[in-house]
Amino acid sequence: MFLLRLERAINTFSDLLGKIAALLFILMLFNVFFDVVMRYLFNDVSIGMQELEWHLFAAMFMLGVPYTLRTGGHVRVDLIYERLTGNKKAWIDLLGSLFLLLPFALLVAWYGVGFASEAYELGETSGDPGGLPYRWIIKAVIPFAFFSIAISGVGLMLKSVNTLLGHHPVARYQPPTH
Amino acid sequence: VAALAAPAQAADNDKVYRLKMAETWPSNFPIFGDAPRNMAKMAETMSNGRLKITIDSKNKHKAPFGIFDMVRAGQYDMGHSASYYWKGKVPNTLYFTTMPFGMTAPEQYGWFYNGGGMELMEKVYSKYGLMSFPGGNTGNQMGGWFQKEINSLDDLQGLKMRIPGFAGEVLAKLGAKPTNIPAGELYTALERRTIDALEWVGPSLDLRMGFHKIAPYYYTGWHEPATELQFLVNERTWKKLPADLQEILRVAMRTAAYDMYIQSYHMSAENWDLMKKAHPDIQIKSFPADVIGAMKTANTELLKEKAAADPLAKEIITSQAMYMQKSRVWTDISDKAYLNSLSSQ
Amino acid sequence: MIGIVMFFVALGMLLFGFPVAFTFGGVALLFGILAEGPEMFAFMPFRIQSIMENTVLMAVPLFIFMGIVLQKTRLAEQLLESMGKLFGGVRGGLAISTVLVGALLAASTGVVGASVVAMGLISLPVMLKYKYDKSLACGTICASGTLGQIIPPSIILIILGDVLGIPVGDLFQAAIGPGFVLIGAYIIYILIYSWMKPEAAPALPMDEDVENKRQQYVKALKAIIPPLALILIVLGSIFAGIATPTESSALGGIGAIALAAMYRQFSWKMVFDSASETVKVTAMVFAILLGATAFSMAFTYTGGDYIVEEILSDLPGGATGFLLLSMLAILILGFFIDFVEISFIIVPILAPVADALGIAPVWFAILIAMNLQTSFLTPPFGFSLFYLKGVAPPDVRTVDIYRGVMPFILMQVAVVASILLFPAFYGLT
Ligand code: NA
Ligand code: NA
Repeated sequence: MFLLRLERAINTFSDLLGKIAALLFILMLFNVFFDVVMRYLFNDVSIGMQELEWHLFAAMFMLGVPYTLRTGGHVRVDLIYERLTGNKKAWIDLLGSLFLLLPFALLVAWYGVGFASEAYELGETSGDPGGLPYRWIIKAVIPFAFFSIAISGVGLMLKSVNTLLGHHPVARYQPPTH
Repeated sequence: VAALAAPAQAADNDKVYRLKMAETWPSNFPIFGDAPRNMAKMAETMSNGRLKITIDSKNKHKAPFGIFDMVRAGQYDMGHSASYYWKGKVPNTLYFTTMPFGMTAPEQYGWFYNGGGMELMEKVYSKYGLMSFPGGNTGNQMGGWFQKEINSLDDLQGLKMRIPGFAGEVLAKLGAKPTNIPAGELYTALERRTIDALEWVGPSLDLRMGFHKIAPYYYTGWHEPATELQFLVNERTWKKLPADLQEILRVAMRTAAYDMYIQSYHMSAENWDLMKKAHPDIQIKSFPADVIGAMKTANTELLKEKAAADPLAKEIITSQAMYMQKSRVWTDISDKAYLNSLSSQ
Repeated sequence: MIGIVMFFVALGMLLFGFPVAFTFGGVALLFGILAEGPEMFAFMPFRIQSIMENTVLMAVPLFIFMGIVLQKTRLAEQLLESMGKLFGGVRGGLAISTVLVGALLAASTGVVGASVVAMGLISLPVMLKYKYDKSLACGTICASGTLGQIIPPSIILIILGDVLGIPVGDLFQAAIGPGFVLIGAYIIYILIYSWMKPEAAPALPMDEDVENKRQQYVKALKAIIPPLALILIVLGSIFAGIATPTESSALGGIGAIALAAMYRQFSWKMVFDSASETVKVTAMVFAILLGATAFSMAFTYTGGDYIVEEILSDLPGGATGFLLLSMLAILILGFFIDFVEISFIIVPILAPVADALGIAPVWFAILIAMNLQTSFLTPPFGFSLFYLKGVAPPDVRTVDIYRGVMPFILMQVAVVASILLFPAFYGLT
């Protein structure tokens, strides 16, 4: 049952990213609210706080992508898919992850590493007064998120393999909804 | 430029060199976008078709502020942008666009080509495998559109203004609040007075933003007296070009830059005329002397801090200050005296 | 050529049912590498960064959150039910309320993903609960959710203003009339449809225990006030200069939490659960944007933009002929590529021709904007359709959505035609 255990470990990882993303969203919501209140009521503006808004926003949706992959929340064109048996769906997910998702996620992650490390080497900061330093952190979210998408994709492959091997009851295979 | 002295390869008279250039601007962006296109056209004609430059706009590469990295990495051979956009990456790139209370366009061109500016720019950019050339000047930019009048330093307190970069830093020192607003929401923000003021460029490009319909005061400039855009060239690309094409490219860039300066001047005059006809009650204002004085003091202090923190910054700031001192005397007794003598009639 | 082959391959691959976002990404990868080599993907981090830094898109998660909180606290349901009842025994009352709420949301955001998803969360469950025809419900939501594109503030209008060099304010003003006509057309369609097919849009059962009809209205009004106040806060904060349109969506989110507290439904768990849901839906929307940016990168960098350019530069002249053909071209392209690409690649080719033919730029811009709005609804690559499918319950099938949007697409086309033929009616000459 190694494959099942591995699938569960990957699921735990993806769920953790989802929890982090949810926290980032709440922080972002209050961040934007705070900035509006400060500007309108107290005539005070902080460029750093304004930049933090999109930092939180970006990290939130980027980390949300692998999480959503694990929860089956990514939209599919299901004109045909919905009528297929559980096993056929599993084959599509297995092959799709292997030939579409993984190469894409890994290649973007690979170029993302160079992208982020360049910002690190230059010591890149915001160009605006009072803006946030350490631009490499938010840039590093790109390779991190795409590696995580790849990992989550491996999770989807394992789920498909385990379904094909009969380790998952087919009924459990229905994608969860919102 | 020292790189010019580098030995070029034996010229192969038939070989066509194809360069890819990325610009910060969206396609069909007037004036700014015309400069690289004029340049490419001139280079192709002068080289008899041996130098072909294609231009990708922001809509294609989607990285308006990634030009520095993309040209550095060689994904593009050239770029058209502005030097001060890179100050978050390389702080000393700040000085090669324009500075608050700095030189006017003719003075600054004098500094670039004859006053050591090009050499200093090379000193900053060569570390990154890049070459930078003047890329076209907007001329004096306007101080911006204001919803309320600025009569004293008190009026700057808590003034919410969209004004990015170093000029924002200067205003912040005097109690104003530089504010980030996405370009698409600027109109609504100024109209609804979410912000009190904003600066954009000048009539040449402000007209299409429509700010003149919603803000009564148009302040004259102080913060960008001579905004010079930039041609960036990847050094490896440059070295691959035969000597004659290097020279053709250099001349094309220099000519296109100067052409843009003329075009900006012309379009500002034309568009200001249009704005004034459509909205005769726009009020042109200048900041009162004490406000300008305080801004100048804040500016000097900030420059002192920057000079103290970095020897190369100090060298650039000093070079600009010395050159401005000398050239301003001439500006005063030539253009300024001429205009003064006319206005006193 | 590669771009066109790539398009059909993507279309075929999508049918297998693997998630849209990664199908786009994978197909882009395949063709990008075939045509140019893997180095092309070194551009991807830059493109992703431009999405990350696009603060206007922050409205997407913020409005989704507002919708989820309203849904979780059942305040949205009460709003729609009460509005449905306000229209008394009128059939289709719920759908009409959806159009009206969609129009209000549209007036506070220009981001389609935000309103389609929020509407999908708020009204789809209610309409399904009252046995509305699935197609009618889906079509209404997609169409009303897309209204944000034409009713100011609108991203399409901002981009078009930029591309065509027209002040954004002028465009906003010019778009109001056509926007109202569109809303009117939707409502009339719903009335006619539910009159002809009563079982598709049943009238809401009136409360039996309340004898006095007036009391019924009072009750309905009471239920409408809180969520309506929320929407007014969002709109009001923009008009009062308190917040930018994007920021106003955060006020909506905080306001929804406050409403939940007022109705004694607040808990941090509720907030966190809503945030988790928000993350899922937001990630679904943005994953499509990430896949689509890879797709459009491969399309343009393999020369697809030049092919389109060549075809369009040869459009025959004559103002009416040119307008008809260019509208048709944009409508067809809208099936395939997204509106940003159209605005930036196609419109700059058409604009000088329109200018030379003496076509009023604002008129031209509004025509294009209306037309582009339609592209959100047209299968197979209609972003609204993807977004709604992403939040709809599993028994709502893609076919239901496709079928549902058809009449709305026809109405859009009719309104575009009316603007084309009677610009004076809209004050666009
Ligand atoms: Na809108
Ligand atoms: Na479409």
